[in-house]
Amino acid sequence: MLGSLALPIAQGGGPVIPTFQRGSDCVRENRQFCWDWFSSHWSSTFQPRLIEHIELTAMAVGIGFVIAFATALVAHRWNWAVNPATAVFALLYTIPSLAFFQLMVPFTGLTRLSAEIALVSYTLLILFRNILTGLREVPPDALEAAQAMGLTPRQTLWRVELPLAMPAIMAGIRIATVTTISLTTVAAFIGVGGLGEPIFNAIQTGFKTQFIVAGVLAVLLALAADALLVVLQRVLSPWAKSRAA
Amino acid sequence: MGEVKGGLSMHSIIDAFQFIGDNPHLMLTKTLEHLALSGAAIGVALVIAIPLGVTLGHLHRGSFLAINVSNIGRALPSLAVISIGIGTLGIGFINVMVALIILAVPPMLTNAYVAVDGVDPDAVEAARAAGMSPAQVLRKVEIPLAVSLMFAGIRTGAVYVVATATLAAIAGGGGLGDVIVNQASYGTPGVIAGALAVTALAFLVEGMFAVIQRLLTPKALRHQKGAAELFTPLIEGT
Amino acid sequence: MRGTMRRLIVWSLLAATMAFAVAACGSDDNSSSSSSTPAASTSAAAPAQPGKGKPSVTIGTKDFTEEFILGELYKGALEAKGYTVNLKKNIGATEIIDTALTSHKIDAYPEYTGESVATVAKRNEPAETADEEYQLAKEFYEGRGQTVSEPTPFEDVDAIAATKAFATKNNLTTMEDLKKIGSFSLGARPEFKARQQGLAGMKKVYGINNAKFRQLALGVQYQALDTGKVDTANIFTTDAQLASGKYTVLKDPKGVFGFQNVSFVIDKDKLAALGGDQFMAIINSVNKLLTTDAITAMNKAVAIDKQDEATVAKQFLTANKLV
Repeated sequence: MLGSLALPIAQGGGPVIPTFQRGSDCVRENRQFCWDWFSSHWSSTFQPRLIEHIELTAMAVGIGFVIAFATALVAHRWNWAVNPATAVFALLYTIPSLAFFQLMVPFTGLTRLSAEIALVSYTLLILFRNILTGLREVPPDALEAAQAMGLTPRQTLWRVELPLAMPAIMAGIRIATVTTISLTTVAAFIGVGGLGEPIFNAIQTGFKTQFIVAGVLAVLLALAADALLVVLQRVLSPWAKSRAA
Repeated sequence: MGEVKGGLSMHSIIDAFQFIGDNPHLMLTKTLEHLALSGAAIGVALVIAIPLGVTLGHLHRGSFLAINVSNIGRALPSLAVISIGIGTLGIGFINVMVALIILAVPPMLTNAYVAVDGVDPDAVEAARAAGMSPAQVLRKVEIPLAVSLMFAGIRTGAVYVVATATLAAIAGGGGLGDVIVNQASYGTPGVIAGALAVTALAFLVEGMFAVIQRLLTPKALRHQKGAAELFTPLIEGT
Repeated sequence: MRGTMRRLIVWSLLAATMAFAVAACGSDDNSSSSSSTPAASTSAAAPAQPGKGKPSVTIGTKDFTEEFILGELYKGALEAKGYTVNLKKNIGATEIIDTALTSHKIDAYPEYTGESVATVAKRNEPAETADEEYQLAKEFYEGRGQTVSEPTPFEDVDAIAATKAFATKNNLTTMEDLKKIGSFSLGARPEFKARQQGLAGMKKVYGINNAKFRQLALGVQYQALDTGKVDTANIFTTDAQLASGKYTVLKDPKGVFGFQNVSFVIDKDKLAALGGDQFMAIINSVNKLLTTDAITAMNKAVAIDKQDEATVAKQFLTANKLV
């Protein structure tokens, strides 16, 4: 087994330096893509990062949605709240991600919490805007009909307005999700893992395969999430014709 | 150099401005680098996206491509695109520029297409009936009516480029990202100063395109409500 | 309304199913970089497990390969003795990671003695010997609530390198020769510019004022040299890439870059909670083994042969009976 071959050093008692596994020619020459390296490192290096990435994203979009949804309901009811909420969320959105993550560290450490605070913040603007717009775009006829049927405001909200707002809400979730996947790669800068970690590590060695694999995996994840959410959108609002835009 | 500070407060914001004042040469150089990189990428993206989008929209062709390129483009994680770029093109300005162009083209292309494609058919018909050639129709009717939505896409792409150019620092592209990643030398005030500068640049670029948009919008349409902005996220999402 | 509820349930089930599927695929694999599971493969019954029952320790590492390896070495050795280690890799440069230490975001990290004195303590008195440098560092940390392990035999010093071609063409063998050529570009990691053990020190000690600083992310310096993007670059003397013979490392007769053996810096209180001397003994047993040859071999395995740091560290520890 490789590594068990030991090179004893001087009799003076230096350390035993094992013979480490030699990289394949592809790897040593840093050729464009080394499939062998990729397949041997998938489960140790890339799969855990992919799972971390999904976890970080899901948590951010989930928490962001709850906050944005609550804010949108408030703004829908009390119109004066729209501008302050939009202003705050827009302000958070404009902070460059590399800065936001670093600035959280003194408060919440090199932890997922720091990353999540930033990631959640970035979802709020798009989710809030889309949920609110969706609610506002509900046709007045529908509201009138609901009133005529004797529904309370709460019932109207949950049985009429929200279902009709579903396309806009799903559109917002979709954009927020792919944006978060993108930003989560940057979060690796403060050491929380995810697919950004192999990217930042690859800078150490300039190893092309590592750059490409990490990048491609992130792209595939984003496209897969986007596609999944399109399907979900169709499932949840089958009455909405796909707009030819 | 001053003591490396950590933590954040109102005082930190003031410190950030002090940092800018103490390091004018650094901030100016980095801002210009950032502007140059962004400007180049936006310029090339415009040259690729607008003619293509306008033409396709005018001919009412290629809708599948034009709509979906923005869906896919919007989903692309920026650091991942840069990473693939490093792996294929190596570190440096060109690699980052290519990545930024790839990220900027989709919103510009799709909006240009949708804007021209969606011009009121009656207006186009009337123009044809009045004897205009297709080229004249395009120039005098379709484009002016499409300006608003088209520029929504241009502005989205441009601001996205300015923000993403921050990541160029990791790929050897320079710019304000160099300040933001160098908390070791510049401390928290530096990070905040870099962030403020990027944000200011983004607003500047957005404002510049807003002015251009206004100049290109025919007077009659200038006071129309910018419904396009409201709709863009929805259009992109459905 | 039934319809909406039904859809919400469908949606949640779908999402939950996806999450389970992904988690299930990954559950048999336990190798998160910051996992805190003790090594599952303890071979022969480890007699003493001083780490059992002690709190977990958070070790950080800086942003380059050698530090990654050191982190994995300490982690492996500690876990073999029952400690729970939380390894935070690639935190950043000295200034950043030291702040993490003092603000208790991490408990410990491996630091280079010269760095400790010049960059952390900000002292400008150059040390005459490696031991003096170590003593200065130790004194500084102990006055600040931390303590240090024994130093490693190996040193990893900053240096300036150029491609053989550039060096030959301009007759460069030592740093002083740089003064004689016209303007040249020097690529280095961001913090190098302002440091006394960096460009600022080069200007002061050697009078090198003709360098154009080009900021590079740490790690790309060899690529930058190869592609001609920079004339010279700041490198580390134990970098694996130097063995290729393609580069000339300029001598530093005035010692502007200091002495740089590695010692493990840890918060004093945390050390006490971890068992004091028992804990430190494990760290010292690792450090003792790290000769220049050893660390260079490991750097090469990771940087050139692209092996995992964790794998390389484990092999080394096993070969030396620490695991």
